[in-house]
Amino acid sequence: MLEVRGLRVVVGGVEVVKGVDLGVGRGEVHVIMGPNAAGKSSLLAAIAGLRKYRVVSGKVLFEGRDVTHLPLDERARLGIALAHQIPPVIKGVRVRDLVTALIRKYGVGNSGSLASLLRVGELMDRYLFLGFSGGERKRLELYLASLQRPKLAMLDEPDSGVDVDSLSSIAEAIAELVRSGSSVLLVTHTGYVLEKLSKLCGIDYAHVMVRGRIVYSGLADEVVPLIMKHGYSGALRRLGVGS
Amino acid sequence: MGFEELRRRAEEALSRESPYGPPIDLSKYDLGNKLVTEATPSLTIDEVVKLGSDAASRLGLSKDSLTEASYVQLNEALLYRAVVEGLRRRGVVVMSVGEALKRFKWVRKYYWGLMDVGTDKYTAAVELYGGGRGYFIYVPPGLKVKSPIYTCLLITSDRTAQLVHNIVIVDEGAELNLITGCATARRVGGALHIGVSEFYVGRGAKLTFAMIHAWGKGIHVRPRTAVRVGDGGEYVSYYVIYSDVRSIQQYPKVFLGRDARYYTASIIVGSGKSVYDVGAEAVLKGEGSSAEVISRVVGRDESEVVARARIRGEARGTKGHIECLGLQLSPKARISSVPELVSLNEDSRLTHEAAIGRIAEEEIEYLMSRGFTEEEAKALILRGFMTVDVPGLPDATRRVIEQVTKMLSEGGGI
Repeated sequence: MLEVRGLRVVVGGVEVVKGVDLGVGRGEVHVIMGPNAAGKSSLLAAIAGLRKYRVVSGKVLFEGRDVTHLPLDERARLGIALAHQIPPVIKGVRVRDLVTALIRKYGVGNSGSLASLLRVGELMDRYLFLGFSGGERKRLELYLASLQRPKLAMLDEPDSGVDVDSLSSIAEAIAELVRSGSSVLLVTHTGYVLEKLSKLCGIDYAHVMVRGRIVYSGLADEVVPLIMKHGYSGALRRLGVGS
Repeated sequence: MGFEELRRRAEEALSRESPYGPPIDLSKYDLGNKLVTEATPSLTIDEVVKLGSDAASRLGLSKDSLTEASYVQLNEALLYRAVVEGLRRRGVVVMSVGEALKRFKWVRKYYWGLMDVGTDKYTAAVELYGGGRGYFIYVPPGLKVKSPIYTCLLITSDRTAQLVHNIVIVDEGAELNLITGCATARRVGGALHIGVSEFYVGRGAKLTFAMIHAWGKGIHVRPRTAVRVGDGGEYVSYYVIYSDVRSIQQYPKVFLGRDARYYTASIIVGSGKSVYDVGAEAVLKGEGSSAEVISRVVGRDESEVVARARIRGEARGTKGHIECLGLQLSPKARISSVPELVSLNEDSRLTHEAAIGRIAEEEIEYLMSRGFTEEEAKALILRGFMTVDVPGLPDATRRVIEQVTKMLSEGGGI
């Protein structure tokens, strides 16, 4: 489904992704973990095609097609959805208007069940992300990404800054996405959502990213518990990765 | 003031320029003072629709809504239809101002009751050459007219000077929703529209007024509006112009009584080399009165837009807020925002917010990451920008406005 080869990404003259290789198969769930400023969000942004993330070498292949230099809207229409870590406030555009436009573009799908799982009904008449709490923002952002009925859903820290109830809704919605056939590439540095997600749909692989590089990849069941218990440094030491 | 005195004052003012907007040479237009030819019996509403259909369609008005119109003026000819029988029986009056002045003596005290006929050469021209055209609407005390009354002023021929004087009286405790569409057919190269409007909103009464303008690049437009809102009354105004125009200049003035409320939203979508000088002034004369003056300006092409707003707080406990937001979509467009607050009372609370900028790249990119093209993303943002929540707007009016906004964002207007 997704294949990233030797990807190097520069933002504002600074190299933030320094040669990443990554593969995500159809229906698989991958998690990328790592400390702050490891380049996790930049990697997702570059795969999605956000303009300020300039690919200086390497390739992004999606379903066998080289999309490295494809505009971001075309990538989205091919089936790559990004749930942004901090989506922008767009005053004047109501949630309902965007939801309607997305459903018109991608079809209804399971939008109804996801809307109720993520409790977004109450947000419909508000302007996009204006005055949203952390939980509201994450729930809505995940909902909007899921309306694209993505083949690959890239979720950038869907669990940061949310309350326990929202965390539970978010995990259930991700599981619903997986059940409906999406592959998931999830970035987290807290790992809060992983335990619940693991029970709901399982997580296949985990990758640890440090300073722009993936320094370890393995089965999620082995890697995630180590990180949650020992932190990144401790876990990597136990996994035999040097400092 | 008698008619002779009005005429004398108007003649004195015929060369008086307006302080705002580019001057217009009135001699270039056909100002002949033709007598009112109203309710032309030979024209059916279908024929009116046919004649004015191009202009009407530019207002987002369907044949049905034009058919529902209570007052239609095509160029200089009045083609008003009778107000529906049910409303007439309840005392609602819709006719031309000329006819109302002839039939009801009491109308005279409202004629130039809020505005000096000698304000400038445009008000003067309406008095001298208007010939009694323009609509007169009266709603008796306590009557709440739920369905909107439509009025349409359409220009379909060149060199026309469409001069109208409108008077609306919403009596004590009554309610009226008025929708006015003004447009020219696309083929009209040059014309002039001057509209004097005097609106009287009685004690505890409510008037919602939506005005939609779709002119052409050779048209000069000079509306002159004054409104008096009685104690506890409410005036809600929504204005949108989204077409080319040679120039438009208007600065309606609203006087508010005790605890009266005024809300106005103006949406100006500039295009071509058009000049728009559009504003609103609220005079908070009564204790506890309040006003909100909102404008959204989109500057495209080489258009020049001045968005003015002024609130004068004259009494205790008054509140006013101005919000002028502008989006500049072209490097050759020019947007000026001129908010002005005048407080004459220590217990008056007046605020303003003004901002002009371009569409944030981050917003466009976010929507593109959802699969929208850049054009689609901009249209979504613009539609949102132009959609202003107008409190208390009736559903029927809201639907017309939504139709216009939709037409703008989807029809390639932007």
